[in-house]
Amino acid sequence: MQVGSNPNQPILVLKDVAIGYDSSDPLVKVPDLHVFPGEIIAIAGPSGIGKSTLLRTIAGLVSPISGTVEVCGITLPESPPRGHLGYVPQKLGLVRHASVRHNVYQGARAGTRIRKERRERSIRAIEEMKLTEKSREPIRRLSGGQQRRVATARTLAQRPKLILADEFLSELDEETLSSVLEAVTTYVRENNASLLVVEHDITRAKMMADKLLVIDDGRLNPFIKGTKALEVNI
Amino acid sequence: MRVSIDSGILTKSFLFILILAFLVLNGMVSDWGRLTGGFGNLKNFFYQSLWPPDWSVLEPQVYPVCTARYPFEFTCSTAWIGVIETIKIAFVATVFGMALSFPLSLAAARNLSPGWLSFSSRFILSAFRSLPSLIWAIFFVILIGMGPLSGVLAMTVYTVGYLGKLWYEAIEGLNKTPLEAAQAMGLSQYETALGVVVPESANELISHSIFLFEYNFRSGTIIGIVGAGGIGYYIDLYLRFLQYDKVVAYLLIIFLVVLIIDFISIYARSFFTEDDDLKAPSWLEVIYGLGRAASNSSVLFRGRR
Repeated sequence: MQVGSNPNQPILVLKDVAIGYDSSDPLVKVPDLHVFPGEIIAIAGPSGIGKSTLLRTIAGLVSPISGTVEVCGITLPESPPRGHLGYVPQKLGLVRHASVRHNVYQGARAGTRIRKERRERSIRAIEEMKLTEKSREPIRRLSGGQQRRVATARTLAQRPKLILADEFLSELDEETLSSVLEAVTTYVRENNASLLVVEHDITRAKMMADKLLVIDDGRLNPFIKGTKALEVNI
Repeated sequence: MRVSIDSGILTKSFLFILILAFLVLNGMVSDWGRLTGGFGNLKNFFYQSLWPPDWSVLEPQVYPVCTARYPFEFTCSTAWIGVIETIKIAFVATVFGMALSFPLSLAAARNLSPGWLSFSSRFILSAFRSLPSLIWAIFFVILIGMGPLSGVLAMTVYTVGYLGKLWYEAIEGLNKTPLEAAQAMGLSQYETALGVVVPESANELISHSIFLFEYNFRSGTIIGIVGAGGIGYYIDLYLRFLQYDKVVAYLLIIFLVVLIIDFISIYARSFFTEDDDLKAPSWLEVIYGLGRAASNSSVLFRGRR
């Protein structure tokens, strides 16, 4: 069965997971987290608390200290199906000397093996992020906000089932922020994909998410303290 | 354990090492008196045997008969023929060396390959690098006889060893975020190499490749001596006949070619620098820079490297 086609089949499952770089002192503990198709979940919390490490663990870049991480039905450290996982790191991970077009094409390359479709996806994503005029410019010549739009376009061209985004709305002005947000949320809703986003700014996190989680005292908790539920509908 | 270094400690450490080097040298030299009069000898040698250079090396050879017309008769000269042959050998060896170094350097880079692959690739690169190109040239002259092919093979092997090491070090120095993004997206090693590693490290890859071309050109003068072709053959010939003024003319021509290669390197690398406010220099600027280099080489394209 195709990932995301069943709304009751979670795209991401974390069970009794402890993450961090020191097994004797985990950064964050996640007892149970299920992310379903079409969901947008934000994780908020101050800097240095382990939000980015949590995303890196789900992306398969850091091994969990304990517990099970399942992405698109595949348990780590096995890789999820090619192109199913999109990742926008905090530092964006763009190829600075290459053009906007080249960077976006890397996402399309991961998403499909058909060359014609790769080109079409890249062009569409660049248009969506309003970067057509800059498509031949090298990344190093773009502003911080424009670079964030390129990273988002790369993920949209990939068309993944699960998007992991680390502070992907920072450095954007109000107008660009709403258009980027709209493009990403529309993609998630229309394609039954999921978005797990990390934000240090709780107001911005609330603005985009269906559910908001906070990392508090080394544990992933619902935003409203005192409730037993892990996830809270906003 | 990591130690933080300030400039004071650095200066003192360097002074200590410098004094140590002098002490070691003093232990090796038994008679410092041999230095006296050395400068006078050098001066005599320079003015009596080396200077002025004999530019007849740029005149056409008597045989074979030169068919080139004025003003291109110099293309029949030993200097021109030798330089062109050395450039050809260096070019072919560098290109073949690049083609072989690329997969080996990707395999040797620890941020791209598993430990066993990285180790075995480094082992091969070290083996190629452990012998200088002159020894490789002797080896290939014995194996397949004298001529440019021996030179090409010797330089190719050495280029692989040297360029492979420079490249894998450049690749290991890459920012890890683009590689991680590629890995998370599910791109294969091959796609990551072509889509991320090459453009991201283009500055270093180009710089090192042109450096190796320059190195191969310069070492072409050495390996020619053992019969591997190029300008070295003529240098060796005139050294045997003690015609040092002609040798100096060849060396100045080599110096000029090396300078030109360096400016080509500056031009090629300028497309991949971080300086966003500066445009790539035009060829005119590069040539103008070559003229300025004679007066003040340090100000050339300041900040572009």
